[in-house]
Amino acid sequence: MSPSAFPRRRVAGLALLLGLAAAQSALATTLETAHGPVEVGDDPQRVVTLYEGALDAALAGGVVPLGAVTTRGGDGVAGYIDDYLDARHPDAEPAIVGVVREINLEAVLAQRPDLILAPPQLADEQYALLSRLAPTVVPPTRPLAADNWKHEARLYGQALGREAQLEAAIAAVEERAQALTEALADAEVSGEVSLVRWMPQGPLVMSERLFASGLLAATGLTFSDGDLVNDRGVHSDPLSLENLSRVDSDWLFLATLNADGQEALEAARTSPAFERLEAVANDRVVPVDGQLWTSANGPLAAQAILDDIEAALLP
Amino acid sequence: MIAALPRRLLPEGLALPLAGLTLALSLVMLASLLLGAGEVTPTRALAVLAGGGDDEARFVVGSLRLPRTLVGAAVGLALGMAGALLQAVSRNPLAEPGLLGVSAGAAFAVALALWLGASATTLRVAVAQAGALAGCLCVLGVARLRGLGNDPIRLVLAGAAFSALLAALTSLLLLFDQRAADEIRFWVIGSLSGRRLADLLAVLPSLALALAITLLVARPLAALALGERVASGLGHRPGRVRGLVVLAVALLVGAATAIAGPIAFVGLVVPFAARALAGPDIRRTLWLCLPLGPLMVIGADILSRLLVAPSELSLGVLTALCGAPVLILVVRARRLPSL
Repeated sequence: MSPSAFPRRRVAGLALLLGLAAAQSALATTLETAHGPVEVGDDPQRVVTLYEGALDAALAGGVVPLGAVTTRGGDGVAGYIDDYLDARHPDAEPAIVGVVREINLEAVLAQRPDLILAPPQLADEQYALLSRLAPTVVPPTRPLAADNWKHEARLYGQALGREAQLEAAIAAVEERAQALTEALADAEVSGEVSLVRWMPQGPLVMSERLFASGLLAATGLTFSDGDLVNDRGVHSDPLSLENLSRVDSDWLFLATLNADGQEALEAARTSPAFERLEAVANDRVVPVDGQLWTSANGPLAAQAILDDIEAALLP
Repeated sequence: MIAALPRRLLPEGLALPLAGLTLALSLVMLASLLLGAGEVTPTRALAVLAGGGDDEARFVVGSLRLPRTLVGAAVGLALGMAGALLQAVSRNPLAEPGLLGVSAGAAFAVALALWLGASATTLRVAVAQAGALAGCLCVLGVARLRGLGNDPIRLVLAGAAFSALLAALTSLLLLFDQRAADEIRFWVIGSLSGRRLADLLAVLPSLALALAITLLVARPLAALALGERVASGLGHRPGRVRGLVVLAVALLVGAATAIAGPIAFVGLVVPFAARALAGPDIRRTLWLCLPLGPLMVIGADILSRLLVAPSELSLGVLTALCGAPVLILVVRARRLPSL
């Protein structure tokens, strides 16, 4: 083989590819996903989201998906999504196509999707099947970090052709957090904050790399997970009741999957170890909805969490 | 008369092993008060036991470690005795409440009650005991089927299938109600953490009743081991004895499951060790189960606190790790001892 033969062939191939891409550019966008470049249609009409963050981003971009997965520990979409849909799209009700770890492929197929927004870390086998139904967008895997949701929301926005709307939604969250930081500083609210899920055997301490933890930190509070969560985990193992003092921050956000957070707080209060916490004695325990705080993500979830923080901390 | 009573009750040659085991149990209970996953060191805990100590140490020893030690003692006692009784009445050394689905029955009953809307603490004991009773009756029904009763391993297989069925039904309930699931998922694994003395008080009456029944049936049960005709000849009524034993097992397993969740293998390992020390007579086995059960459960609980500090393992996980090798040992022994 002569030294020049191979490059020439490659150039020809490249030209052909470019030509094809140019011919389709009016109809399609190519996205960089975890499974390489994926071409999506310009104005997808039948969107199925297989991830709470994708559902949130789609709604923030003004697209109501036809199908979605349930929230953690629930039978349907998260409560804050329900509220949003009731307010903005009272007639829309995304069909449930499974839970995030167990997608019902037939239910996805029944929606005849033209775009599937999938979670990061979708199993390869699942991708192989889903990508045959419709272009499937899987965000590239990143190490667990509190602002992963922004990258993901941007990618979903590109896939939906709603980049501008999502940029605006993300910017709005950042502005709101900044405003809340100033308001909290004016009200002289400051200090350390922890986020736990209460179990009778002991709390699960949520990582500082979680979505909600990042929002707490973004409002000027110091988020602490007591060095109890390893780099990859989203929460600690059930902490021994003997070690509760490790999460005894100035503010304790208590996430619960119970319908009624107050009820969970009362359950926790039956534990003498919980009663001894400084945050409990100072009445600085804030029960919050675990679906929103420890399962959801996206710009709408961020606004809802900032609502919770504002209501709890601003006098 | 009173002086003669203990001698009549306590079989010969048991005084020494019983004294040794009681001493070992006291040491383990002391260790359970001194050791934990937290920052209260044995020295600080000792200061508390001596009547002093700082506030945090007093809280940890008095309100966290003491309750779980006492609850662990009750759970170990109940499960050890239940195992010995169930093995004697089914004449099967592998008849363990956890393996045969009695614990699974209790757990399923509690899950059902929670699903139907019962609040977790109030009904739990009675419901768990009813579930354990149903589980017991199923097991003994299976054991009396022709052919099965004589083959310990087939009985365990039937029990495993029964347990799997109940576990599947429990999972089904949890799937129906995901929110309740998160609350009781940790309870279904079995643990002593966060248990209070009030929980223990709730089961004390049924434990006392079960112990009284055991005292009543120990002698007829030993006669039953010689065969139904011998027992009838001695004036015992086998049917009634079996019924009482089943009742006692249900009370014991239900009580233990209600406060600690299902904890497997204690009912296998404890009677196994007791027989190894004292021989096959049920009266002797039961005596040694009294200290051996708490010894195993509290010992495993101490390990559960130390192995992954500052978190804790589930007690059920540890007893399974200790107990599974014993099960394999018993099954692989050349000939299963018949009871």
